[in-house]
Amino acid sequence: MRIGLVCPYAFDVPGGVQFHVRDLAEHFTAQGHEVGVLAPVDDPVGDLPAYVTSSGRAVPVRYNGSVARLTFGPVTSSRVSRWLEEGEFDVLHLHEPVTPSASLMALWASSEPVVATFHTANLRSRAMHAANPLLRPSTEKIRARIAVSEEARSTVVRHLGGDAYIIPNGVDTGRFTPSGETTRFSGTAERPVLAFLGRIDEPRKGLSVLTDAMPAILDAVPGVRLVVAGPGDVDEIRGALDPRVRAATEFLGAVSEADKVDLLRSADVYVAPHTGGESFGIVLVEAMAAGAPVLASDLCAFTAVLGDGPDGPAGATFANGDSPALSQAVVELLRTPDERSRLRDLGLRRARSFDWDVVAERVMAVYETVIDGADRAPLDPIQRPGLLSRLRWPARGES
Amino acid sequence: MQVDILQVATIVALVVLAAAWYLSYSASRLDRLHAKVEGAVSALDAQLVRRAEATLELATSGAVDPATSLLLADAASGALERHTHHPLSHDLLDGQNFAGREHTETDLTDALKAALTPETVAELRADPQGPGSDALARVEASALRAQMARRFHNDAVREVRRVREKWFVRLFRLAGRAALPEPVEFDDDLPPAVVD
Repeated sequence: MRIGLVCPYAFDVPGGVQFHVRDLAEHFTAQGHEVGVLAPVDDPVGDLPAYVTSSGRAVPVRYNGSVARLTFGPVTSSRVSRWLEEGEFDVLHLHEPVTPSASLMALWASSEPVVATFHTANLRSRAMHAANPLLRPSTEKIRARIAVSEEARSTVVRHLGGDAYIIPNGVDTGRFTPSGETTRFSGTAERPVLAFLGRIDEPRKGLSVLTDAMPAILDAVPGVRLVVAGPGDVDEIRGALDPRVRAATEFLGAVSEADKVDLLRSADVYVAPHTGGESFGIVLVEAMAAGAPVLASDLCAFTAVLGDGPDGPAGATFANGDSPALSQAVVELLRTPDERSRLRDLGLRRARSFDWDVVAERVMAVYETVIDGADRAPLDPIQRPGLLSRLRWPARGES
Repeated sequence: MQVDILQVATIVALVVLAAAWYLSYSASRLDRLHAKVEGAVSALDAQLVRRAEATLELATSGAVDPATSLLLADAASGALERHTHHPLSHDLLDGQNFAGREHTETDLTDALKAALTPETVAELRADPQGPGSDALARVEASALRAQMARRFHNDAVREVRRVREKWFVRLFRLAGRAALPEPVEFDDDLPPAVVD
């Protein structure tokens, strides 16, 4: 199959959508499909994978509440058309199609069957409402809408109407599979390890919810170690901590992928105290894949990732922002190894459904459904009731 | 003030031209939307037929017990029969209401849910070379695609209906004789044991 993927954000700048497009492209290429990616590029002389075509130099623009690196204008427009013409794609898969960048322009220029994936959960309504009549005829070309989470789906429903099929983000879970080795983060029965991942100075990552819960946790389990991995001003955060909590906390700063994997594999409990703004909890999937029992705030995005199978959710939750509830939940988990190993097993199983193998297979099923429908649409040029026959005046007796 | 007839006539002509262009543009947009619904409904139809066929194959594979087999075969042949006796016509929008197949498809969904318990699924998957495992995989694949196809179809229906509600579309009958497409609603959930 010839697949065209379009990413609206600069491909050589790290970001969730970019990684998603890259992983999808590499997965389908490995399966023998022909994949082309069109995306803005920040550094035109930098190293890019062979499948990427530049839609033009990315320009930093303030859109939807944050600065994004996008492309637009006549140069992009002609590059989009040329890429579509040369690609002869069977299906065109656009990411974030209502962002003013390459995806929207490809949608506008396309004649192939279009699949669109919506990633964001916080689309500003102002821009969408203003542009809606302009966008409508273009968005009508989309034959299948995918949302990466329930929250992304409700954004689509609210702003575009209609529905979207949920296919979660993929994670290469194999990288996290527990190795059974002891690492420098491994805890003991007396000194169990709590892990936190994320920017330490960003309030919505919720580190303060966890540090406020620490005194009560230390009262119950004096030996507990809190390992905090993530960039931010360590001295400032550390200075503001209660001395007892400071002594029990190790700040690693920004960590390498290998250290992140080791930390998650070793943690006795992975705590995700995020307070909001999460569309999808990739880090929860990574923790589950690494075999870390998960304790998360009860954000919709998180409860969706943890699921609710016949054996219950694959992780424990506590009321968002509620430090006393968090400390109570941590202490309970640390005191019941059986519950932790039960969550660990559930988590390992749950993580498998987010593996790229499973996720890419679903995306492929969407492509096939859409191509199936597009091939059938003009049933037979003669039989197909075309524009003229629909316009024909109803004969007498017909309504 | 003197009225220049030529000027007025030019303006009137321009307005009429613009209106005519807009109407023909709307008509072709509507036609594209109708074609999209037709594609979506026939994709849904194809997946549902595949689902019923795969279920029948699973039932006759000998890999499930006779009672389960009978239950599945009954629901699957019900769905296939209904499909054969009430085919979607060539003009998929001509009186399109999915030919009243919602009930038989829901019945098939229910039968699959009842038959494919966690134990049965585990047993079928335990023998990857067996005939049951292959049929189960095809049931799963087609049920998943049917689920997608139905969502995409209903999205397309919503778009057509929104455009057709516009006053000028109704006044000038831009939809012509095409019937108003209806969303297709039935239970298409996959058996929980299969998803897990």
